[in-house]
Amino acid sequence: MSRLLTDIGAVCRRELVTVRRTPGYAVLAAGLLVVLGALVAVGGGGGTGFVPAVVDLLLPTEILVPLLAVVLGYRALLTDATSGEFAVIRTYHVSTVGYVLGVLLARVAALVAIVGVPFALVGLYVWLTAAPDTGIFATHSGADSPLLFVRFLAFVLLFGTAYLSVSAAVSAIASSRRSAIAIGLLALLIGVLGGDLAILRSLAGGASPGEIPGLLALTPNGAFRGLVFEHVIGVAFAPNGGFVQTGRAVGSLVGWILAGIVVAVTTLTYATRVDVVVERARERLLEY
Amino acid sequence: MSERALAEVVDLTRTYSGIRVLDEVSLSISSGITTIIGPNGSGKSTLLGVLTGAVEPTAGTVRHAHEDSADGGNDKRIGYLPQRVPFRGEFTARETLGFYAALVGDDPDAALADVGLSDAGDRRVAALSGGMRRLLGIAQATLGDPTIAVLDEPTSGLDPDMRERAFRAAAARASDDTAVVVSSHDLDLIDTYADDVIILDRGRVAVEGSRDRLIDDYGVDDVKDLYRAVVSDRADTGSDLDAGDTDSDDGTKDRDETASESVHVTGVSDR
Repeated sequence: MSRLLTDIGAVCRRELVTVRRTPGYAVLAAGLLVVLGALVAVGGGGGTGFVPAVVDLLLPTEILVPLLAVVLGYRALLTDATSGEFAVIRTYHVSTVGYVLGVLLARVAALVAIVGVPFALVGLYVWLTAAPDTGIFATHSGADSPLLFVRFLAFVLLFGTAYLSVSAAVSAIASSRRSAIAIGLLALLIGVLGGDLAILRSLAGGASPGEIPGLLALTPNGAFRGLVFEHVIGVAFAPNGGFVQTGRAVGSLVGWILAGIVVAVTTLTYATRVDVVVERARERLLEY
Repeated sequence: MSERALAEVVDLTRTYSGIRVLDEVSLSISSGITTIIGPNGSGKSTLLGVLTGAVEPTAGTVRHAHEDSADGGNDKRIGYLPQRVPFRGEFTARETLGFYAALVGDDPDAALADVGLSDAGDRRVAALSGGMRRLLGIAQATLGDPTIAVLDEPTSGLDPDMRERAFRAAAARASDDTAVVVSSHDLDLIDTYADDVIILDRGRVAVEGSRDRLIDDYGVDDVKDLYRAVVSDRADTGSDLDAGDTDSDDGTKDRDETASESVHVTGVSDR
């Protein structure tokens, strides 16, 4: 166990240095801050309260956070694989699990900085500037609290981590930067649009509307949206909830994180062996 | 496994796209400096990759003497410098070694000093010359005192002084219970430093044994003549020997050169 922690710590520290020295990430964080600030300012939520601000931010968050997570993760495991450094790291008996977790932990820390900090600053802005606005309160009646925004932030980070883990898996599967971009964009498209379209299709196919909360929780976007409605927006105007099953939604996001890790570890562990099996089959075919 | 052998390769075969890059190779690695030479595309990098575990063979086995040890395999037993030095450009030399040293509880500064890079410790890898990068690679490969250090063309693309320095640094790590396995085209340096010589040709072991014995057996003066006696008489023209050319320093592996048997030209360089 201590060996695993040593591996995770060493890999994580190395990855953090790389992240810190990638100026593009700071630009992304600044860009996100500008976009979020503009959304709450233009939407009116920023001057009104935390819940209206969350309403303003919810839809853009469902697109921007996955996009940034994919940007952070699509090359996370590919870089060492293509440079040949992963083969060197393996000679130090670093386990694949330790390596993947180390890289992912550092990237999660980067996600907290790049995504979490701008959201937190927007929350601070709302806290400093919010004032009663009857127009907004008419649609968002009930209690407002900074705690609701903290919950929203926690869901954003969990949501982003799910996409980060999936994109890390993509980076393990991809054989080049170009293929990583292609697969990453595909995963993003499927994640952002695919889940909702699948639910609409199942409803059109005769599924009961009562099944929506359960189905919604299965996709990262659905789970995130459901949690935000259930525990942030709904607290203010629909205390009885019923938007999503909380345990199922949280379990879904954690499941996506674990699935990404499992796929990444399995790919890095068995890719060369699969290659050998293919080569053996090819050799036998050539013999005939 | 023989008593002296630190590693043994038995009937090793590796194919890429169905073409055999290594063809039933069997050999043993003993303590001291073992050099692997051969024409471009003869399978040197693939063989070294299999030795380190970076490449999975399609058939055959690699046995290491340390597999029988009782420490559970936690120590680093194999050091590896790939043909293309893979370190991250944004890291300094000290940071690069610091990462690896932390994994084996070694001292990065001592490793830098061993290869004469103490003064370059704070320079970024991207700003190091090719020779310095290779010295850094040698320092990395020998961190943790591995039983076998595998260096894939540590002198490629270097000027004569740097080649000598790289070989000297590698040779300094060889001892009675440590093997340094080096692939290279620098036959003069190999003649000076090698204890054992393995010549690969078209994915097979053409000859293998101690440098002195092979030279006696073939009645030649040095490794260069030995190479010519074993391999070059099969080629029509030219050679990249002693020119320091590499199979390719841009990361292209043996497999790329053997994509078609028609381009598998022994001992011929187009430069």
